[in-house]
Amino acid sequence: MDQILLITLNGLTLAAVYFLVASGLTLIFGLMRVITMAHGTSYLLGGYIGYAIARQTGNWFLGALGAAVAIGLLGLVIHQVLIRRFQDDDMRVALITLGVSLIGTDLMLAVFGGTATQVPVPGELQVASLSIPFVGAYPVLRLLVLAAAIVIGVALALLINRTRFGSVVRAGVDDSQMAAATGVNVRVVFAVIFVLGSALAALAGVVGGTLFPLLPGQDGVYLLFSLVVVIVGGMGSIPGAAIGAVLVGVVSQFALVYAPTYSLVLTFALMVVVLAVRPQGILGRHL
Amino acid sequence: MARPDAFLFAPKPRGAARWLPWALGAVVVLGAVLFPYLVDRPRFWLPNIGVRSIWLGIIAMSLVFLNRYVGLLSLAQVTIAGVAAYGVGYVVVTLQQDFLLGALVGLVAGTVAAFLIAIIAARTKAIYFLMITLAIGQVFYSFASQSIEVTNARRGLAPIARPDFGILNLNDLTTFYYFALALGLLCYLLCRYAASSTFGLTLQGVRDSPERMKALGYNVNGYRIAATTFAGFIASVGGILLVLDRAQVDPDVVSLGSTLDVLVVAVIGGVGSLGGVFLGAIVLTLLSNFAQNLTDRYMTLTGLVFILVLLFAPAGLAGIGKQVKRFLDRRRSSEPDAGEPAQDPAATRPPESAITKGKQR
Repeated sequence: MDQILLITLNGLTLAAVYFLVASGLTLIFGLMRVITMAHGTSYLLGGYIGYAIARQTGNWFLGALGAAVAIGLLGLVIHQVLIRRFQDDDMRVALITLGVSLIGTDLMLAVFGGTATQVPVPGELQVASLSIPFVGAYPVLRLLVLAAAIVIGVALALLINRTRFGSVVRAGVDDSQMAAATGVNVRVVFAVIFVLGSALAALAGVVGGTLFPLLPGQDGVYLLFSLVVVIVGGMGSIPGAAIGAVLVGVVSQFALVYAPTYSLVLTFALMVVVLAVRPQGILGRHL
Repeated sequence: MARPDAFLFAPKPRGAARWLPWALGAVVVLGAVLFPYLVDRPRFWLPNIGVRSIWLGIIAMSLVFLNRYVGLLSLAQVTIAGVAAYGVGYVVVTLQQDFLLGALVGLVAGTVAAFLIAIIAARTKAIYFLMITLAIGQVFYSFASQSIEVTNARRGLAPIARPDFGILNLNDLTTFYYFALALGLLCYLLCRYAASSTFGLTLQGVRDSPERMKALGYNVNGYRIAATTFAGFIASVGGILLVLDRAQVDPDVVSLGSTLDVLVVAVIGGVGSLGGVFLGAIVLTLLSNFAQNLTDRYMTLTGLVFILVLLFAPAGLAGIGKQVKRFLDRRRSSEPDAGEPAQDPAATRPPESAITKGKQR
């Protein structure tokens, strides 16, 4: 029983990181109908930048902020230079961003090397643990990550559902041409969403890089996981991304304990089951 | 290259447009046949450029076939080739059996894997298909690099010696090259034949208007699955050649990098052209062999070429001639070029396979 609870908690904290990465991807897809394959690159590069800043300044928050701003700007450049012209051509955007991720992987290997790094946090936080009934001592850091993901998720949902900007975004999702006709500058909205999505990936990179090592190849892994999460949860839906992240996180943790070799294969089986029942994902709208 | 189905869309091409593709094809085949005698160091050129281009081209061709005739862009073709390669490796290395049996098992394994992938993925289309095939490929990669019993994890299965069939001794580089060339040509002809058969025409109907085909009583999903399985067979042939060339199989074969390699080959060659892939493959192998003399960042260079092609020549090298021609035509006269649409894959593309749809300004 204790072990099952512990695995569930581990799964949930892992899901927190997956949710942060995938929420950016699903946000971008929801509005723009394009998939950015450079999302994993944003994650890893964000993590590295956060690591560099946090190491220099000793301040984790400064690292997270710096990473989000830097990757947000990079996202703006990528969007303006490479994506905007091919807005209606989702395949081409996917391939172009795949090319960006190819370059990103290579350059990050050149700059940051092949060794594992981790974003530093204050020492006491690193070892602090909280006693939880039935589970025992559990690292505070992981609980903080879980809390942060919940806060960010709720904030995103509020932003989309309760603000004027959110209503513009939702109008753009439903019919971007009609929204443009009513005087909304859809181009600016697209750019803002792309920047926000990229910044979220960078933030996820710093958070993920605090819990787990940053390594070459992680960009591919997190791209894969965020794809699986949004496919399971339903493309374009923030609550869907949350559900997908929790399912993927918990399933992969249980699989890691009970069938370590086949952990990814089982996670993938989850995707197959969901696709077989609901091709559009759990909370996705019609294909 | 004239489409075999051109009559469906437009009058047959006349004059130069008619014989030029055949002449080009003949020149390319002649060049490929004479290749071992044209190069200064056959021991370097034959395996590194020749054979490697051919298997990369075959795998990329299966991707192009799916994209052009079914409108599905699959990133799992490398995975299918990898499954075939692992099939050979398992039979030859683990079970210590004959290579021919291994090749047979590999072909069957690859084709069955393609069928299974199709069952999962064919329910979706366009960008979803792309994402799901990418995810499946990555999952197989992680399986291959972790499973000790089946794939021997990171170390892979080796050695897989090239067989000697008496007259056909594949250990001889020149013989091996011609063997690969023959396989590549056969695959090309098979794809052309499949595309121009009733099956291929039905596929294009499914691509252009699935709803209408469904209303006519065609099993749209069934055709998608059948096409993906056929493309899987072609990719498996590429996988067998791959394993012959590398003499071993390890997870690198199915890594994201290899998937991108094949995608780069397809895009550079032209995702609308079955023959263009070999051009793309030659460009990539040349880049990978010679760029290393200039820079350590060969991947960055490949990525840049890839993006530039996507930005400025979405129909790839095979489409550049047409692009230039259209550009010149437009400059020469302002009248619409009505005699040419059959040449233009863009004109008849559905939105799903939009890479070649691109707005060619």
